[in-house]
Amino acid sequence: MTFKYANLLLIIGFGSLSVVSSLLLSSGMLFLLTEVLVIALLAQMWNLLAGYGGMVSLGQQAFVGLGGYGLYVFANHSGLPVWLWIVVVPLMVGVAALPLGMLMFKLKSAYFSVGMWVAAEILAAIVMRTDALGQSGGLVLRPGGESLAGNPERILFAGAGLLLIGTIVGLRVLLNSDLGLALLAMRDGEEAAEAAGVNVRRTNLLIFCIAAAGCAAGGALYYFSTLYIAPTDAFQINWLISMMFVSVIGGVGTLTGPLLGTAVLIAVRETCTSLGLTGGTYWIIMGTIAIATLLILPRGLWPALRSKLHVPKTEKEATIG
Amino acid sequence: MLKTVGISKSFSGVPAADDVSLSLQAGERVGVIGPNGAGKSTLLGLLLGTVLPDRGQILLDGDDVTRLSPHQRVSGGIARAAQIPMTFHRLSVSDNVRVPAVHGAGLRGREAVEWVDEVLEMCGLAASAKVAAGQLGLLSRKRLELAKAIATRPKVLLLDEVAAGLTEPEIETIIHMVETLSEGRAIMWVEHIPFALRSVCERLIVMDKGRKILDGPFAHVWDDPVLQEIYMGVPDDNLS
Ligand SMILES: Nc1ncnc2c1ncn2[C@@H]1O[C@H](COP(=O)(O)OP(=O)(O)O)[C@@H](O)[C@H]1O
Ligand SMILES: [Mg+2]
Repeated sequence: MTFKYANLLLIIGFGSLSVVSSLLLSSGMLFLLTEVLVIALLAQMWNLLAGYGGMVSLGQQAFVGLGGYGLYVFANHSGLPVWLWIVVVPLMVGVAALPLGMLMFKLKSAYFSVGMWVAAEILAAIVMRTDALGQSGGLVLRPGGESLAGNPERILFAGAGLLLIGTIVGLRVLLNSDLGLALLAMRDGEEAAEAAGVNVRRTNLLIFCIAAAGCAAGGALYYFSTLYIAPTDAFQINWLISMMFVSVIGGVGTLTGPLLGTAVLIAVRETCTSLGLTGGTYWIIMGTIAIATLLILPRGLWPALRSKLHVPKTEKEATIG
Repeated sequence: MLKTVGISKSFSGVPAADDVSLSLQAGERVGVIGPNGAGKSTLLGLLLGTVLPDRGQILLDGDDVTRLSPHQRVSGGIARAAQIPMTFHRLSVSDNVRVPAVHGAGLRGREAVEWVDEVLEMCGLAASAKVAAGQLGLLSRKRLELAKAIATRPKVLLLDEVAAGLTEPEIETIIHMVETLSEGRAIMWVEHIPFALRSVCERLIVMDKGRKILDGPFAHVWDDPVLQEIYMGVPDDNLS
């Protein structure tokens, strides 16, 4: 199958699936599925950053929170449609990530990871103390100062589905572009890539900003569906843990892996909920699954499954699949 | 075209480059020899920008490039084949060459594809274009490292022991490649193999303990007693 044909099939197939199911499913189910799509989206972003870019950020929850709060602040105070802000806020977060990235890239490897986590904590603390953001009490979504008419979950779910597909197709195109080639080269050796003429720092910054914008888009979509946002929720480390769990279980550095990982995460979580297991037990089960999977299949589920199904023709096909 | 003025670099107090001044003219082919640890790789690293000097200046076509990062110097026309091949092990051989063709030489579209094919042909890698670089043997990896350097279309090509560790017939093929590649560009070739340097270079630099000891016409430097002195203790067959 040619590359473009595969992309088209992805868009039409999953696009129509998400539109049709948005018409058929109950609103509780739609809410859950929207969250699933958002987690898959966030995982793709963490995977892009850490799996392809080698930047293991422990602070991506900051961008989720920024996306959510950005949406609330601008929608509540502007009078412009919420949908506009769902598009604009992630772009603004992507731009705002640039100076943060320039600062954080002064830190190397593990220090970068921890630095990002600290930055996220600082941001959460600032939000929690800011009057205009409702402090620890949070904000209610009131576009233009009025409460939202009707429930948006159908269209939100379809929107999240389309965004996820757009993201996957976009990532495929990106990884097949000259920029993607630079990224894949950097993954095998930054000094070698630099010596081949790649502007390593600029490429890293660009990926950092894209991942920030993607996480913000996920946050904006998710908190649109909740109609309420609070700092302890929006900036919580659980966002990060979900992203990492899903990427690592599914297969870091592959595009299909995080999708598979999301399915596992949600299946386990919903089973735990229906069995009445509480937060603590739930995380112990999750941790056990993660460790067990990685002991048996160190590269994650998808690479193992794929080698059973068929052998990729090239190493590049393997990395992009 | 490439010039250093008194560049020095120490690693934890031990000088790896000590007040080195040299200049390289367009099209000139210079050999560099010296015992292990003499600072030859460090010198090439300083020229490419992967090592930053403590003191001194590096000029490319009269412009100060001392503080420029490697990718900027690559755009300016400097390229290096590293002593330990730095290939992209998960990418195919042709993608390995495409990285410098696109990002180093700045080629796009058809032009890039054709140039990659040409470089692969030139370096004897056309048959393994689709193989992942990590699966190559030593000779092919050395060829690929050379191919990556050449793909940036450099004016100055720095070669760091590209023939080391190979058998004599393999060395012959590398010599032949370097001769082909040196067409129209300056070359600085670090190597311990005298017959390889002799067949390509008209000038020879000798380094020891970070210092440039000798620099001049090949035959002249080769017969200098100082060179024999530096290599005392090294078996004779290594030198002749
Ligand atoms: N990155 C580095 N860190 C610490 N010491 C280094 C580094 N690179 C080179 N050196 C030291 O500098 C000296 C010169 O090394 P090098 O330039 O590799 O010599 P050569 O290539 O002539 O064998 C050696 O003593 C080596 O140990
Ligand atoms: Mg060396």
